[in-house]
Amino acid sequence: MNKELEHSFVTQLEENQNIVHKICRLYTNDQDAHNDLFQEITIQLWRAFPKFRGDSKFSTWMYRVALNTAITLYRKSKRTIKTQDYEGVSFKISSVPYDDTAEQQLKLMYSAVKDLNDIDKALVFLYLEDKNYREISETLGITEVNARVKMNRIKEKLRTILNP
Amino acid sequence: MDQLDLLKKKWQSTEQELPRLSYKDIYSMLLKKSSSIVKWIFYISIAEIIFWTFLALLVPESSTKFTDDIGLHDVLLIVNIVNYTVFAGFIFLFYKNYRKVSTTDTIKGLMHNIIRVRRTVKYFVIYNVTASVVLIIGINIYYYLNQDLVFQYMREDFGVVNISQERFMNMFFAIQILFGIVMIALVLLFYRIVYGILLRRLHKNYKELEKIEI
Repeated sequence: MNKELEHSFVTQLEENQNIVHKICRLYTNDQDAHNDLFQEITIQLWRAFPKFRGDSKFSTWMYRVALNTAITLYRKSKRTIKTQDYEGVSFKISSVPYDDTAEQQLKLMYSAVKDLNDIDKALVFLYLEDKNYREISETLGITEVNARVKMNRIKEKLRTILNP
Repeated sequence: MDQLDLLKKKWQSTEQELPRLSYKDIYSMLLKKSSSIVKWIFYISIAEIIFWTFLALLVPESSTKFTDDIGLHDVLLIVNIVNYTVFAGFIFLFYKNYRKVSTTDTIKGLMHNIIRVRRTVKYFVIYNVTASVVLIIGINIYYYLNQDLVFQYMREDFGVVNISQERFMNMFFAIQILFGIVMIALVLLFYRIVYGILLRRLHKNYKELEKIEI
């Protein structure tokens, strides 16, 4: 029974691992931290897995647990040390080696998103993942109206950061 | 907000750049949480030996001259050799534990190794505290039995004057006792804080593993 559970968990996580990688990328600044967070999320998911009843999709449930882990872990690390690896902050843009303005803007936007507080970042993450407000509200456990209001405030915030 | 939407487009197109872990990678993650703690135990033990060595280098010359004069040179040398050997032995054990924990791939095996790590750390702490206590008490008994020599060399090496031997010795032992207690307390505090935290985390992992195993 235990083996079966393990197998079903690992298979599903393997299929959906992109979600976790994307969260790690957003919440950490270097590869080591990325790996650590990935492992931490894996362990939290595994611990919560027996309670996953399948009344939501596995991926939806994953978004919730993984974001919660990233947020609490991020809170902890903020209490201790705040290191900023600016190399890691830059967004991997593979295409043109030359930095034109549009790309520069994108990079700035990305680092502005990375600088948001943990909760706001979770909201933006789900937005980037193309979730609608109903899904966002379900994942984060807030009302749909609240999600909308918050998102508008974040957009406003980002606007002022980019165009002071 | 068009910039955020641009980012969104970019965000979704970078999917294939993400790392990809295999089934086995993920499976072993379920087991490996303890290895980083055990790694820290290993690192800290090395840091500790470096720290003590540095501290030994900082001892002023007058103080080593005093212990040499009074005839403790050979004894302290032997104590040092024994101590470093035991220390090196423990570091080796910690390293072995670390290797073991990071290559274990069954939950039962990991639980077994965690118990072993905890036991090694416990012996390490007991050894260190006992060794410090025995050394401090031993040296002071030696001083007590050789009070005349202590007083004589204190006058020669540290220039103690204008005080009777009896009064000086009373003061000397009072300071020694106080110093000894403070030292032991610091050692205990250090182990309690550093290894205490790590061992508690290991214990927590152990409990979690136990839950999985049932």
